[in-house]
Amino acid sequence: MIQLRHISKYYPVGFGKNEILKDIDLRIFEGEFVSIMGPSGSGKSTLLHIMGLLEEPSQGEYLFEGESVHKMNEKKRTQLHRGAIGFVFQAYHLIDELTVYENIETPLLYKNVPSAERKSRVADILDRFNIVAKKDLFPNQLSGGQQQLVGIARALVGQPKVILADEPTGNLHSDQAKEIMELFKQLNEKDKITIVQVTHSEINATYGHRIIQIRDGKIA
Amino acid sequence: MFKNYLKMAWRNIRKQKFYSFINILGLTTGMTCCFLIFMYVRFELSYDSFHERKQQIYRLTTDVETPTEKIEAAITSMPMGPALKQDFPEVKEAVRINLSNMLVLVGNNKYQEDEVAVADSNFFHVFTFPLVSGNEHTVLSEPFSVVLSESAARKYFGTANAIGRSIQIGGREHTVKVTGVMKDVPENSQLAFNMVFSLATYKALGETFENWGSFGVVTYLLLESNVDPYKLEQKFPPFLEHHVGMMMKESKMRYTLHLENISDVYLHSKREGSQVLKGSMPNVYIFSFVAVFILLIAIINFVNLATARATERAREVGVRKSVGAYESQLTFQFLSETLMLSLFAFVLSVTCCQLLLPAFNLLTGKEIANNIFQTGTVGIFILMAIAIGLLAGVYPAIVLASYKPVVVLKGAFSSSHKGLLLRRGLVVFQFVITIVLVAGVIIVYNQLLYMQSRDLGFKKDQQLVVEFSGIDPIKDKWKEIKQQVSSIQGVKGCAFSSAIPSKSHSSAYSNMELKSGDMQASNLNLYFVDYDFLQLYDIQLVAGRGFSEAMGTDSTQAMVVNEATVASLGYSKPEEIIGRKYSQWGSEGKVIGVIKDFNYHSLRDKVEPLTMRVAPAGFMPMTITVNPANIKKTLAAVEAIYNRYAPDGRFNYFFVDDSFDKQYRGEYRFGRLVLTFTILAIFLATLGLLGLISFIVIQRTKEIGIRKVLGASVGSILFLLSGDFLKLVLIALLVATPLAWYLMYQWLSDFAYRIDIQWWVFVLAGGIAVILSLATVYVQTIKTALTSPVKSLRTE
Repeated sequence: MIQLRHISKYYPVGFGKNEILKDIDLRIFEGEFVSIMGPSGSGKSTLLHIMGLLEEPSQGEYLFEGESVHKMNEKKRTQLHRGAIGFVFQAYHLIDELTVYENIETPLLYKNVPSAERKSRVADILDRFNIVAKKDLFPNQLSGGQQQLVGIARALVGQPKVILADEPTGNLHSDQAKEIMELFKQLNEKDKITIVQVTHSEINATYGHRIIQIRDGKIA
Repeated sequence: MFKNYLKMAWRNIRKQKFYSFINILGLTTGMTCCFLIFMYVRFELSYDSFHERKQQIYRLTTDVETPTEKIEAAITSMPMGPALKQDFPEVKEAVRINLSNMLVLVGNNKYQEDEVAVADSNFFHVFTFPLVSGNEHTVLSEPFSVVLSESAARKYFGTANAIGRSIQIGGREHTVKVTGVMKDVPENSQLAFNMVFSLATYKALGETFENWGSFGVVTYLLLESNVDPYKLEQKFPPFLEHHVGMMMKESKMRYTLHLENISDVYLHSKREGSQVLKGSMPNVYIFSFVAVFILLIAIINFVNLATARATERAREVGVRKSVGAYESQLTFQFLSETLMLSLFAFVLSVTCCQLLLPAFNLLTGKEIANNIFQTGTVGIFILMAIAIGLLAGVYPAIVLASYKPVVVLKGAFSSSHKGLLLRRGLVVFQFVITIVLVAGVIIVYNQLLYMQSRDLGFKKDQQLVVEFSGIDPIKDKWKEIKQQVSSIQGVKGCAFSSAIPSKSHSSAYSNMELKSGDMQASNLNLYFVDYDFLQLYDIQLVAGRGFSEAMGTDSTQAMVVNEATVASLGYSKPEEIIGRKYSQWGSEGKVIGVIKDFNYHSLRDKVEPLTMRVAPAGFMPMTITVNPANIKKTLAAVEAIYNRYAPDGRFNYFFVDDSFDKQYRGEYRFGRLVLTFTILAIFLATLGLLGLISFIVIQRTKEIGIRKVLGASVGSILFLLSGDFLKLVLIALLVATPLAWYLMYQWLSDFAYRIDIQWWVFVLAGGIAVILSLATVYVQTIKTALTSPVKSLRTE
């Protein structure tokens, strides 16, 4: 499903360059649950961003479902973004000015989903995550675990094929973390959603089928 | 989707109360100023646009060239118009109009009317002043007929239906019949009048209409459609040659006739001398600029605050992009937020405008509008509000929407240096505008002060003027009246004359002897005065002598001229003109004295040549030097004397210094308007600064805390934060000084007597800007500077 070929990423620094990723080859299959691990600054988040089209690689080729991403135009890429990829962040990144309901609804607005369908899809998700009672609250009225739950709900509502999670439990205590990981597992098994997560935690990493270690920009 | 944007916008407005308050207040103030000025400018530009045939109506004007000068007059002589109509098929109609004042008697009531027109019978046919009753072709045909405005009719008779009623003029000598009633003349008409008498009335009173050299009426021509006025002007010289060729040659005066379209007269004509209203195109420009500037300040405030605060919205941009927003969608979202703000400000502005209209009318001295919703401009205002919203919103929206999600979401985000430079540039620009306006106000008020305090060359204080009108014949009674007034206690002296400094006066066709002995014809200003006039006004003699009753011939054969006359006739020394011959209006004699130039008009104008003669038949106003102690008693005594001599007259009096100051009403009004808008501009700029500094302080809270831990004093922290802004103010001062100097130099050049622009004006204006910015920095910073550093560092 995701295929990275000879991917490199570097930033110019002075006259030289700071290489973050060096010649990464990676293949992730549909239905997989992959954990990416590595020390701080090893380049794992950058790798995830490249997979999620938030960043472009400096070199190499990225195929999403067999299609070369860098040959796509901006519009096609955004389509892909909207339709196939869901993001979950460590800091949740909910929009403070929107309620739980509205936060979840936002991706559907950008996808131009008709109003009735929007309502039913958001209601389904709220129901499934047991947060119906919280739908009119604002993010700062929720606990961290609840916020991340909303973050995942927002990623899911667009019915993506893959969820990219960047340290999804980094800001949570262990009970909440477990809950979230169980949820990921369930999504992967029941809904057949491909999941790629970046994590520091050995325990969380074991939820995945496969662990990829990154060190100094290379797959170890 | 759009609903979602609006919801976001609304919640953002409510969450950031301080910024929203500054933004809305700023935009509202800017828009209100802009809307008011727009209405004013539109009104000024609308003069005479209501005439249906305005494209065919032209004012006939005359240039009179003598060997020494050229007078560009707005008036013509009586026979010119009708002769043009007779000779040229292109000229369809010619209307002659004389604007004057009159004492009107209705039953036992007296009304002093200052806006009276006397016009040819085709007046209502050519101009679009709709008649309520009466036939436009015949209302002014007969002598002693008058058309009243509806309000005049109501004032006189209590009803607008006044046809067939009559009024009396000229004491009680003449009865005039009301033949028509017209709608009140619109405020934006260069011809301002309450009633129109038929010109035939003048004829019946024995005025001659045949003198080509006697200028006194405004003439308007109605041309056939498709006539090129410039081609027609080309045909005028032979026309004049045919009618007055001999006369021009003999008098050494050369006339040329010109045409001005009626739409250009109010704002664009430089010609003086007619009593039609005149506007000021420079003022229209100045106010348009002021409006644009104030709006720019408000927009800059908005842009500065929005870009400075961009970091706060950056995370939202990142999130939205990561869930699939196009950049264009985000741009649109931020724009729609700004639009919402500006429409909100629009509603407030329109309300403010409506509430402020009466005050604004007072400030401009005109009835510009009573109800903003009746002016048909609200639609334009909405478009302006949208344009303002777009202008203010587009840059911040593009900047915000272009943030890269990764950079933003990683939290490694700081505002770019480029944005900082732009903000600084905009702040400098705001300061430039503020300093220019402040310097402008100081200079305008200095000039006004100067005009009030300058020595005019005559005594204007405690000079009471009483109009001894309606006394017939004055030439037999003036001595008697003078004697009685002199004997009143509290009267120090009195003198009769035909005119008073600051008021209008006649000018006469005169022949003056040159150095060579030739006689030079020219139109010279003329005061008839009595023997005490020069002394009463303390007007200095520079050569010869003043009038003296002891010299028997002074009342018929003597003339006193001013220095300007001496110069205009080519004499190098005043002594040289003494004893030279003159002939003027049927009187011949010699120049006996030269007086120092005194400003008998506004200081706007250079002192023009002036001649004085003793001719009691022309006497009307009497100047009385009074003791200020008991003016009321003195006035009552003078009124009693006047009423004895003119039982049907109306007692009118004024003081010369007041009347002189009244000439500067326009300048004062201008000064007040500029002052008002300058205060608003300063207010807006300070408001923007306040928002910007409060943001900077929040950003630098940690820095301030660290500095305090390291031992910085509160003073040094204030200095650190204000230093940045002081630099900007200094740069602005450097840019603003030459700009303000140039603009004000242009404004001052309209005045013949004016102040020099002093360097301290700019220092003061810059100082005000410095003080304002320091105060703003201080207010915003002091709290943070005083806070314990432990607190600010812990929150980080």
